[in-house]
Amino acid sequence: MTEEKLTFMPVIGIEIHIQLKTNSKIFCSCSTDCESAAPNTNICPVCMGLPGALPFLNRQVVQQGMLAGMALNGTLRSSTLFFRKSYFYPDLPKGFQTSQCDLPIMENGWIEVQDSEGNPKKIRIHHLHLEEDVGRLQHSTVDGRLEGADTSFVDYNRSGLALAEIVSEPDVASAREAVEFVTNLRRRVRYSGASDVDLEKGMMRFDANVSLKCSDGRRGDKVEVKNMNSFRALERAIDYEIARQTKILSQGESVLQETRHWNDARGVTTGSRTKEFYRKFIVEPDLPPLVVDSEWEARVRAMLPEMPEEKMARYIRDLALSEDAAAILTDSREVAEYFEACVAAGGAPVRTANWVLTDVLRCVNEGCSISAFPVSPKVLADLVTRIEEERFSTTQARAVFDHIVETGSSLAEAVKLCGVTEGGFTGSDLAEKVRGVLEANPDVLEEILSGKDTKGKKVKFLQGLVMKETRGSAKMPDVEVAVALALEVAKGNSGGSSGS
Amino acid sequence: MQLYELTVQETVQGVRSKKFSASEVFEASMAQAVACESRLSALITLTVEKGREQACAIDAKIARGEDPGPLAGVPVVLKDNICTRGVRTTAASTVLGHWSPPYDATVWGLLQDAGALLLGKGNMDEFAMGNTCGSSSFGYTANPWDLTRVPGGSSGGSAAATAAGYAPFALGTDTGGSIRQPASFCGIHGMKPTYGAVSRYGVIAYGSSLDQVGPFARTIEDLALVMQVLARHDFRDSTSVAGKGLDFSLAPAALKGKRVALVKDFEGFSLAGPIQEAKKRVLAVLKEEGAEIVEVELPTVARYAVACYYAIALSEASTNLGRYDGVRLGYTTGSSTDVREMFEEVRSQGFGFEVKSRIIAGTCLTDSSRSEEYYIAATKVRALIAREFEQAFKKADFILQPVTPELPAKIGDAHEDAIKGYESDLYTLPVNLAGLPGLTFYVGHSENGLPVGLQLLGPRWSDAELLSAGLVLEGYLGKPRIATGGVSE
Amino acid sequence: MQLGNDEVREAAMEARLVLTDLELERAVKFINNFLSMLDRFKELDLKDVESFRFAEPARCPLREDEVLPFPNVEEMLAESEHRSGALIRVPRIMGE
Repeated sequence: MTEEKLTFMPVIGIEIHIQLKTNSKIFCSCSTDCESAAPNTNICPVCMGLPGALPFLNRQVVQQGMLAGMALNGTLRSSTLFFRKSYFYPDLPKGFQTSQCDLPIMENGWIEVQDSEGNPKKIRIHHLHLEEDVGRLQHSTVDGRLEGADTSFVDYNRSGLALAEIVSEPDVASAREAVEFVTNLRRRVRYSGASDVDLEKGMMRFDANVSLKCSDGRRGDKVEVKNMNSFRALERAIDYEIARQTKILSQGESVLQETRHWNDARGVTTGSRTKEFYRKFIVEPDLPPLVVDSEWEARVRAMLPEMPEEKMARYIRDLALSEDAAAILTDSREVAEYFEACVAAGGAPVRTANWVLTDVLRCVNEGCSISAFPVSPKVLADLVTRIEEERFSTTQARAVFDHIVETGSSLAEAVKLCGVTEGGFTGSDLAEKVRGVLEANPDVLEEILSGKDTKGKKVKFLQGLVMKETRGSAKMPDVEVAVALALEVAKGNSGGSSGS
Repeated sequence: MQLYELTVQETVQGVRSKKFSASEVFEASMAQAVACESRLSALITLTVEKGREQACAIDAKIARGEDPGPLAGVPVVLKDNICTRGVRTTAASTVLGHWSPPYDATVWGLLQDAGALLLGKGNMDEFAMGNTCGSSSFGYTANPWDLTRVPGGSSGGSAAATAAGYAPFALGTDTGGSIRQPASFCGIHGMKPTYGAVSRYGVIAYGSSLDQVGPFARTIEDLALVMQVLARHDFRDSTSVAGKGLDFSLAPAALKGKRVALVKDFEGFSLAGPIQEAKKRVLAVLKEEGAEIVEVELPTVARYAVACYYAIALSEASTNLGRYDGVRLGYTTGSSTDVREMFEEVRSQGFGFEVKSRIIAGTCLTDSSRSEEYYIAATKVRALIAREFEQAFKKADFILQPVTPELPAKIGDAHEDAIKGYESDLYTLPVNLAGLPGLTFYVGHSENGLPVGLQLLGPRWSDAELLSAGLVLEGYLGKPRIATGGVSE
Repeated sequence: MQLGNDEVREAAMEARLVLTDLELERAVKFINNFLSMLDRFKELDLKDVESFRFAEPARCPLREDEVLPFPNVEEMLAESEHRSGALIRVPRIMGE
């Protein structure tokens, strides 16, 4: 009975691998393009670990690491070293991974999340270090999984891609917090430009260290869960592990310290049969100390854009946007920058925000690229201004917007082709249209003039036709007046003629 | 005089002035190599086709009036741990199988551009681990002065080939004496450059922070000619030092007023009679040349250098040799049912025992449970050693010391205890720990016909000064002769 | 420090080396002699000594981020006994 009173507090640390965005690999000049390249084409003696080959560090990798480190609020080390981390695996060409593991480029970072009560909480980041990726293994099983595969194939295109490994302190208390942590972290890293962090392309991978603190003072051993490639997998794996360990501890048993693998298809973690690596490190003798002087650091810091949280606060404060609108706009740096460019071009912030949130994001979600969006910020600002000044109706503006998105035409062209007239149809233009409609519908006119349209239905019908002719760019009251006037004239004419 | 007997300098002059063609030189060298090879086994691969092709290209260049380069038409033997594109490169190990590198080592690229012709790939201790050439999986190389004796190692094949007149020069690598010791044993000159002076790109690594490529030759001027070609910054090797612009035009009277030191702490150590004799002779020459003989103290070097060196070399080696798993190149067993078994079969069958025992020792030293006590401690001792040399070179311009305590041993007389063998490297390996240049120069022959050499060391980047000093000494002591032991009379 | 047969065998396994009994015996002897030599380090006070890592250069040279494809990929792949088309084929991977 006492068991029911036991409570367990999860203690979770997250390790994240992020592929840094560079043209060439970390230690050689091979292309990083794994998407379009055929297997084993972007390889050379260095990333294949050939005898005699030596590493040559890519400046951009260091810079991207610095940017990511700054985005995570960390402190940069001015001098670091690379190490050789030895183990054997067919995807690891040299028999060791070259990694900054013990002397990372960034330390003491943090990311803010909300705790279970909605209060802000800092998840501390122990460090970020640079290292190389390994080759990609493909297994002979139907579903491509390692289990049961009697042969595997190696593609070394990925070998030597630049990675940043980010290690958090065990400050995460739940799967939800873990997801918020990695979501916020991902957003900031993407903002910094250090990585595209595209999860579907495997640019961000997670491991989690999960243990439980029991209310009776017991403390379970740490279990490392590996192999999560999505936020959802991270969340499920942590929840699974918490439940598994809770059950073990509730039964009075102890949790084994081990490495477990997340099996996404089965939704379980499974124990690893291999024992821990012999921890074998030496200083990489082929790479002298990596020095980041203050001048370089300052230059990179100047490249770091405003981060999403600060942006969001500014939108709410200075642009009077709602919290929701600000949050969505700042989720992606590209969208935020598009929005800001619109505002800078004179678009009224709130109306511009609405347009970006609805019309622009709709197109982006349908696969349109924001960086090459056919409606330039200047054009959108122009459209928004015309609406604000009541020169265009919203319907007109949307028609023009859609036309540009579809055809990529200029604003002037789109306005002309959509047949919208600045300020709508009034005066003689409108009278012309009405006259045309009456002439095209003599039978309806006859009915009205003969007094059969007692309920005014036929008049409404004519008004509708006029509206259609102007493609919505006339105002209804104007149309009503114009039709009435024209009917008066027609009545006078017909009365006169019949009377004569 | 036969064409193969010419020095580098004479060969280049002759080829450039059309006295003889590069092809004629190459054929003469090859004939000499073929005549000696059955007795010496200095080469793992004789590169007939490649060398002939290169010789023709040089001759064609000369015919067209183009500059054929500063080493035009000179045959060379490369130690078989230097990658040669399209030419089997083995590091004398089974594990590399018949590996044909898809790229050239930077040093081989430089030599090719300078007009050198590849004669062959020199035998060596497997992965340069040894000082006798006895751990080669291709068998022993014999000493060309006494076929029953070792040529030294690990670059024994390159040294023996140079001594026997296969080629006027050869390249070796020196991790703890692997150029200087076989040079001494084979009666020629050999230079270990300052660490960072010559590119290591494309040189199969043993102890990366210690390895350095350097030349063997039969004259000091030839060493200088070759060093002028090799000592270039290479962006592919991040430990190659830029902006040094070493100039190897040698200075006459380089010893006048120079302080040449003997190491006090080595004085009590046993030294073979002929080596003591050689030392006396050289000291007399130095005095005559107006050098001042001083004494320096290297107590840490004397007691700890061997332990320090092997701890670092084996730690680095155990990681450098992790890549030989049979997946991407080299030896493979083919029948393994799982990857681990495959790795174990390839490595257990592909490496010789000396290499295996060094890998295991390195693995023990660098495991996190022992790293502090051994690997890290060794890197700290290394700092003390480097500092001790720095202090010594404030009191001296050069240090004169033996290369080995003994003359070359009989083949098969290996030390029962490997560590005893390691201790015989005492005079050569401290140089690598401190990244210094070292020159082995030929002094003379002992009564029983074995060559004797000594070592001159200098501070970092004194490579050209060392050769200048060597040139003065050579003037007194004479140039190395071509060994006749390899050819039937 | 001296190591027993099991510790040496374990280190060998870690290096993916399987030793025969005779090899193991020789390796154990060698490694223990070697470690005895290294025990000399204990005579030194190394507490405040900075490790020697690189004489020069003081800082790692950096390369510009430019793609330069290696021209001899085919030659390189042809060296693998495990080549299977564009890929390298390896037998079953146990564990993990």
